[in-house]
Amino acid sequence: MKRLVASLALLAALAPALASAAPLKKAKPVAVAAPIVEDEEPAAPNDALEPLNRVTFALNDGIDMVLVNPLVTLWNGVMPSFVRTGVSNFFNNLDDVYVGVNHVLQGNGSAAGADFERVAVNTTVGLGGLFDVGAKMGLHKVDGDFGQTLGAWGLPTGPYLILPLLGPSTLRETAGRSVRVMTDPRSYMDSVPSYSLMGIEYLQTRADTKANEGLIAASSLDRYVFVRNLYLQKRALLVKSARDKTSSAAATN
Amino acid sequence: MMRRFLGHLTHAITSVCLCTMVITGLAISSARAEVQAPDDLVGKLAVEMTQAVRSDPELQNPGSLKISDFVQKNIVPRFDFDRITQIAMGRNWNKADPAQQKQIVIEFGRLLTRTYSNAIANLKDLDVEVKATRVTTPNADVTVKTQMIGRAQPVAIDYGLINGPAGWKVYDVTVEGISLVAAYRDEFNGLVTSSGVQGVIDALKKKNGE
Repeated sequence: MKRLVASLALLAALAPALASAAPLKKAKPVAVAAPIVEDEEPAAPNDALEPLNRVTFALNDGIDMVLVNPLVTLWNGVMPSFVRTGVSNFFNNLDDVYVGVNHVLQGNGSAAGADFERVAVNTTVGLGGLFDVGAKMGLHKVDGDFGQTLGAWGLPTGPYLILPLLGPSTLRETAGRSVRVMTDPRSYMDSVPSYSLMGIEYLQTRADTKANEGLIAASSLDRYVFVRNLYLQKRALLVKSARDKTSSAAATN
Repeated sequence: MMRRFLGHLTHAITSVCLCTMVITGLAISSARAEVQAPDDLVGKLAVEMTQAVRSDPELQNPGSLKISDFVQKNIVPRFDFDRITQIAMGRNWNKADPAQQKQIVIEFGRLLTRTYSNAIANLKDLDVEVKATRVTTPNADVTVKTQMIGRAQPVAIDYGLINGPAGWKVYDVTVEGISLVAAYRDEFNGLVTSSGVQGVIDALKKKNGE
């Protein structure tokens, strides 16, 4: 509880920064989803920190090249695929708890119910989350996180931000992620098990995305811009869907 | 926690990858260009496409000549590259003279075809579900909604099609709501701002030469 309070305090501290980060444009909707029409130009991305971001982006590429990619290759080579799937499912199951909490915070009770049902099924029948039994029952994993919740509550994204090691984010998503970190049980474990678990999750995530990173590199002219666009489109859409659900739930009450 | 940082992006990218495969499927059956509802067309294509990939190991082998052949013959004709390029260029389209416009269409089409051809191999363990689509005006744009099934999460892929003299053609693909063409628009816009329309052509040529 103390930790939750601490997280909320941090959030409160960050909120003015977020609000002032986008002072001129009031939460302008980013054009997504609808098929693009020629006369409808999307808003320019909020990337006031681009020079810094490009440096971090290049730094992350360097870390990937010398450290992450060799480790991912090793991980994929050593671990049989059923183990990797199990690891992936295990962390997804832990994440589903947070997804459920966020759906509650967004006032989306039915989605939260489905999330917790997934957790219940996967933790029991799925042997602690190693098997995604829920998906086979038609209960598919849904996205949900604190950044999305902040967006649904009306907080603007703030500037785009590339984080070291972790990649694309925005000021708002970073705030959301801090809440996640502070409420993650791993943050309060001893350092060895804590970092090991985080390290494994990181490696598995990167292993899951490796093929896609290759595809992005092959298809983009300026990878920085391409990644930024995909990321911001995705985040805007997540927040939009949360807002739509919240307002439709309010309307029926 | 880190999972969240990468997760969304990953999802987006996977989706982009998957969408290519469906487009591929789309292309095949629509090659007949008969009067057909666009959703029937997408569905039929998806089935034929997945079957082709499953039954032919060479189509599962990235980089094989057969794939590029296949794509050239079946997919490329079903794409409206003129329209795709115009949308991706946005307001910068009119800054290009006709010769430049033609060049951009060719080079951009080449980039898209080349890059995404190899993704069709992934179709071998996926199924496509097409949602019924209502066509209100025969010549208007139509969005056909589909879902790719077979991975942990189903992936929603929508195709923007337009009916022209040569039948229905794809001009945009959105994957879980993310438009691939919109991503290129940001890139093109950046290039035009920094080095003009010629900058776009040079960048595309350089990329295609890699």
